[in-house]
Amino acid sequence: MSQSIGRSCDELKKEYDACFNKWYSEKFLKGDTRPECEEIFKKYRDCVLNAVKNKNIDKLLGEARKDDPFSSIAETK
Amino acid sequence: MVKFFQHTFKYEYNWDSVTLAFWLRYPNPFASHVESVDVIDRYVDPHTGVLRTTRLILKRGVLPKWGNGLIKKPEAYIIEESLINPKTQTMITLTKNITHARMMQVEEWQTFRVDPNNREFTQVKTEARVISNFGWGLTERVEGFGIKKFADGAAKSRKGMSHVLEMIREKQLLRGRGFLTI
Repeated sequence: MSQSIGRSCDELKKEYDACFNKWYSEKFLKGDTRPECEEIFKKYRDCVLNAVKNKNIDKLLGEARKDDPFSSIAETK
Repeated sequence: MVKFFQHTFKYEYNWDSVTLAFWLRYPNPFASHVESVDVIDRYVDPHTGVLRTTRLILKRGVLPKWGNGLIKKPEAYIIEESLINPKTQTMITLTKNITHARMMQVEEWQTFRVDPNNREFTQVKTEARVISNFGWGLTERVEGFGIKKFADGAAKSRKGMSHVLEMIREKQLLRGRGFLTI
């Protein structure tokens, strides 16, 4: 499994990835799209966003995510 | 200035496995320059069932030697956006660099669909754009470098995906025979 940008987030990432991968292969791909793993995702995400801020890339990231790149793609909607 | 790259490829694995491999593709032996991968946003659209994900990827050592003098940090942050529609079996991904973007912006779009000739295979269409804003004759050189680097990188990333796909297949075989419970 890959590492996290924040070394202190590695454990949370591991736990979240394991949860997501299971959900993705056993539920999502089989048609059950109800989300799971949300609690652990919130903790992991907070940790990552904090690391992003400490590395001073939060502004770059915000800038890059300003527009939805998929807004004109109708086929997957 | 803009340069384009286009490529179509077929994985001899089904669409479900290929999309799973997309999440699991790092680390792999062909991507030693990838330091970290994080999900920074992810949700399922309640109306469409489409999974929307944003990941942040940190890579190192992606610069040409002659470019070292131009950039302070030899690290590159990449953003990866993706849409997965399980009903239409379509995955669309966009990957682009967010650092050094003024020197060179590389945007890669990929569309993964079930191969119309064989439902057990997956077709991938790749389209990339390389844009740079250098003056003094450097632009041409930077973009030429970008396209070459991109083509090399795309070949490597296919190797990485194939490696991960092989691992998934082995795991599924073992699980099928009751050797693995997860």
